Amino acid sequence: MLGVVVFSISGDLPFGTLSAPSAGMMPKVITALMMLFAALILFTARDSPPLASIDWGDRGHAMLVVVITSVAVATYQSLGFLISMTGLVFALLVIVERRNALIAAAYSVGLTVFAYWLFGKALKSPLERGLLWF
Amino acid sequence: MVETFQSLALGFSVALQPSMLWYAFLGCLVGTLVGVLPGIGPLAGISILLPITYGLDATRAIIMLAGIYYGSQYGGSTTSILLRIPGEASSVMTCIDGNAMAKKGRAGAALCIAAVGSFIAGTFGVLMLTVVAPPLALFALGFGPPEYTALLVLGLIFLAYMSTSSLVRTLLMAAFGLLLGTIGIDVMTGHFRYSFNIAELGDGIGIVPVAVGLFGVGEILATPSHQVTGEVIRPKLRELWPNRAEWRASGWPIARGSVLGFLIGIIPGSAHIISSFMSYALEKRVSKHPEEFGQGAVAGVAGPESANNAASTGAFVPMLALGIPTGPVTAVLMAALLIHGVPPGPTLVNDHPDVFWGFVASMYVGNLMLLALNLPLVGIFVNLLRIPYAYLYPLIIMFCVIGVYEVNHSVVDVWIMLIMGVVGYGLKKFAFDPAPLVLGLVIAPIFEMSLRQALIMSDGAWMIFLQRPVAAVLLAISAGLLVLSAATYMARRRDWRAKLAAEAGEK
Repeated sequence: MLGVVVFSISGDLPFGTLSAPSAGMMPKVITALMMLFAALILFTARDSPPLASIDWGDRGHAMLVVVITSVAVATYQSLGFLISMTGLVFALLVIVERRNALIAAAYSVGLTVFAYWLFGKALKSPLERGLLWF
Repeated sequence: MVETFQSLALGFSVALQPSMLWYAFLGCLVGTLVGVLPGIGPLAGISILLPITYGLDATRAIIMLAGIYYGSQYGGSTTSILLRIPGEASSVMTCIDGNAMAKKGRAGAALCIAAVGSFIAGTFGVLMLTVVAPPLALFALGFGPPEYTALLVLGLIFLAYMSTSSLVRTLLMAAFGLLLGTIGIDVMTGHFRYSFNIAELGDGIGIVPVAVGLFGVGEILATPSHQVTGEVIRPKLRELWPNRAEWRASGWPIARGSVLGFLIGIIPGSAHIISSFMSYALEKRVSKHPEEFGQGAVAGVAGPESANNAASTGAFVPMLALGIPTGPVTAVLMAALLIHGVPPGPTLVNDHPDVFWGFVASMYVGNLMLLALNLPLVGIFVNLLRIPYAYLYPLIIMFCVIGVYEVNHSVVDVWIMLIMGVVGYGLKKFAFDPAPLVLGLVIAPIFEMSLRQALIMSDGAWMIFLQRPVAAVLLAISAGLLVLSAATYMARRRDWRAKLAAEAGEK
């Protein structure tokens, strides 16, 4: 399916000729190879364990982590490192791990302030300030 | 040979400078921590610390980053032995007998054997690197686009052949990586490819967000904290020294692991992981007491630990001599050198002898540092393992975000990391190995450039790959591996059918 999508969005990329290959040659050849390999996997699917045997028990944890991290990434530049990352660590601890909110708050603030100091002052690689002035 | 020793002396004059020693120590320390902590591998560790090296020169940067890589191989054994959780993928085999030894009260001996084996193998690897890399680089100076294309094809096929998952699955992943590598401006024609008007995608997809996403975030998504137990066996310092029988039992496995690991390390793929599996299988096969494996066999610790350290050093040979990464970690190290304006490859030895030989010499010193770090300070590292995983992974995610963002100060890179984390989670569920994807992404520009240049050179004649002797030999080996793999698959299928037929007959 990915191969079909890639082929459909590669229309404007010229393939060129063998003696003068152009920008579209490599992606199109690789996409064709991918489709061939995928077909071979389908052909030998009987050798693999059934899809139903895959354990998806961790999907709730994975989804929560992705959603919380997405919010932190979306606000990273506007709110800055300290606010967005404190929120990230706090939310992961309280929402995903169901830890005590006070301990989680202390841990997340301590951790992000330390990281901010470590990168900004000790390693001379300043992190995003965002809303804050320091 | 005399010239090699003179160059090595130059390297030591660079590596023994106090500031170089400091960065080597820092790399080894961080590497050990990265190896000890589950959920964060050398790739994520190196990627996160890559932006910090921007203020350093190329020699200091590569010395520190390489220290993280081989340091993590040392540290990975600690978690495997004391916790039965591999701190690093290459320490999986050490879990089996290392933890069994720990349960018998021999945790200290297992840690000591792992550290000494790692030291001997690491030093052997550096010795071989010293001898092999310069002549290989000299030979590679004669390589043109057809040879490079054939070499990269062989690398991908070898990776697929050696991979723990099937050949076709590995090739599919590598092709996916190659496809991702075509995103961005085509340097030969100036066409924008799949950039969807996003300016950041014009430069292509970076290795760091993809690698950190697949290996760092992906691992965390697939590991809920309740699955990580915190039962740590704490060895006493006086129990660290193995007894005479244990020393005797570890001698040959260390020697075999060192040679096997180095040879596998040169080959593309997740060499340090494969080498430990192969070493374990070899030790079990040559052992007079194979039944002891799984019950705390000393050879089951000494062999794989030596092999993964020698392999991590061996992986530097093609990276430094040919400019070709053998895996995602060496790919990021290559990127680090390129960022500092030092292109790895055949010209590195002549153009930047201080970087090349300083780096090689620093690895001799680094191995000594790691031996000194890992044994006396094992108690401190054990205490680190007591931090609950629920508190550890938010910290790792935070460092992943910092590491990826700081490379280009681009939030698009962080989104790519997160998307790749979800992709990595999915790949893990469907038993696809993500390492070939990263390798494909890294070699895509070199592969495309050399393939197109070769075709332009020959006016579109594919025969150029068979007319040039080196390219023809490399492609013949690739074809041989594919045939061998297909034959093995068919034989396995026959076995399977024969087994079913036999079972049906019995019924």
